Amino acid sequence: MKPSGVLMITGGIVLVMILAVSMFSPGGGAETADRAAVAERDSTACIASKEYMRSHHMKLLDQWRHDAVREGDRIHETPDGRTFEKSLNTCLSCHSQNRFFCVMCHQYANVEPTCWNCHLLPTETKE
Amino acid sequence: MKKVVMPLVIVAVLALIPYIGVEYAGLDYLFGVIMPYTAALVLLAGMLWRMIDWLRRPVPFNITSTCGQEQSLDWIRQDRIESPSKPWHAAVRVLSEVLLFRSLFRNNKAELRKGPDLVYGSHKWLWLAGLVFHWSLLLIVVRHARFFLATLPAPVAWIEHADSFLDVTVPALYMTDAIVLAAVSYLVIRRLLDAKVRIISLQTDFFPLFLITAIVLAGISMRYLTKVDIMSVKALGTGLAEFSLDAPGEIGALFYVHLFLVCSLMIYFPFSKLVHMGGIFISPTRTMLNNSRAKRHVNPWNAPVKFRTYAEYEDEYREKMKKAGIPVEKE
Repeated sequence: MKPSGVLMITGGIVLVMILAVSMFSPGGGAETADRAAVAERDSTACIASKEYMRSHHMKLLDQWRHDAVREGDRIHETPDGRTFEKSLNTCLSCHSQNRFFCVMCHQYANVEPTCWNCHLLPTETKE
Repeated sequence: MKKVVMPLVIVAVLALIPYIGVEYAGLDYLFGVIMPYTAALVLLAGMLWRMIDWLRRPVPFNITSTCGQEQSLDWIRQDRIESPSKPWHAAVRVLSEVLLFRSLFRNNKAELRKGPDLVYGSHKWLWLAGLVFHWSLLLIVVRHARFFLATLPAPVAWIEHADSFLDVTVPALYMTDAIVLAAVSYLVIRRLLDAKVRIISLQTDFFPLFLITAIVLAGISMRYLTKVDIMSVKALGTGLAEFSLDAPGEIGALFYVHLFLVCSLMIYFPFSKLVHMGGIFISPTRTMLNNSRAKRHVNPWNAPVKFRTYAEYEDEYREKMKKAGIPVEKE
């Protein structure tokens, strides 16, 4: 192969690599929400009905993760106007009263959610 | 056209029955407890009846199908699997048929091209789709053990982990769910598009495909989209596994559609082409040994023939034969 051909190919590869890397560079990213504004945390009622949460909580948590981490939208507003921070800690602030709250059902149904790959299970935290 | 639409209508009606029954008539107990037990009983008794019936049928000839060198002289190499002469050869042949669909791998397709030319060619798509379809169904059925057993046996957990290892979507996507849908679509489309296959297809070919599709869709919908309360499902499942008669808790109607369609499939099973699940294991062309030269195969319904040997004949007429000058073997 001619030297000029080698140069062309090397140049092309480098160009593609630069382009590929630049696509992944952080371009602004998600803004950190004003968490103080969320504040309100009504511990007397859950964000949705018991029946809905029983069957759909994984959907909701997945949506929350997407909104908070990817969109920077950290405020959840319930249909009746209450606001909550989209965070697992919001759930656990009430539901970790019973440290086996998550585990009980998941074990019973043989479900292994991936939440606890990163987050601490209530059973793993100190009293 | 009727043979495609009719099964579709039947499946739709079957899906509507539990929906209306649970949603408007409150027949949870009928569809959640009575139906599953009935269906399991019909499946078990029906399969036993079919298998025993088949096993009792006499086989008039040694009808093993072969496509390889049979056992012969020592220096001629025998094709043990294609032309089995020992039981374990035949066992390997049956198992490779069951697990790998070996004979379907040889599938050919004839095509009329311009010219006109009749062209034959290897056609592996049916084999691939069929194999993937059956294996997916098996894995899906095994995976359902988690609804029936309190603690999951390790192999079932491995299957679940392997099946969901892509870890996309919440809950994690099972690959078999997607694969079985793709495969069943191919199997339906194949019957519709190819004129030759369309003509030989019957209602009973389309019905199980549609029924399984409906079951899969209801299951997928429950897992990924509409959701149901898994706690009540698990309670019902473990209850059924230990023959309890407790009433099921509050579960969505879609679950009963899924369950009722599965029950329909179980009841339909022994009386349809689906018995091939059991029949394949006792299929004479696969299980028989190609040893007809080494061992005589007697037709079991041969009437006993009354015959007389020449020795007996001579014993009776020896004196007369001698007098008439006819030579005899024994003096």
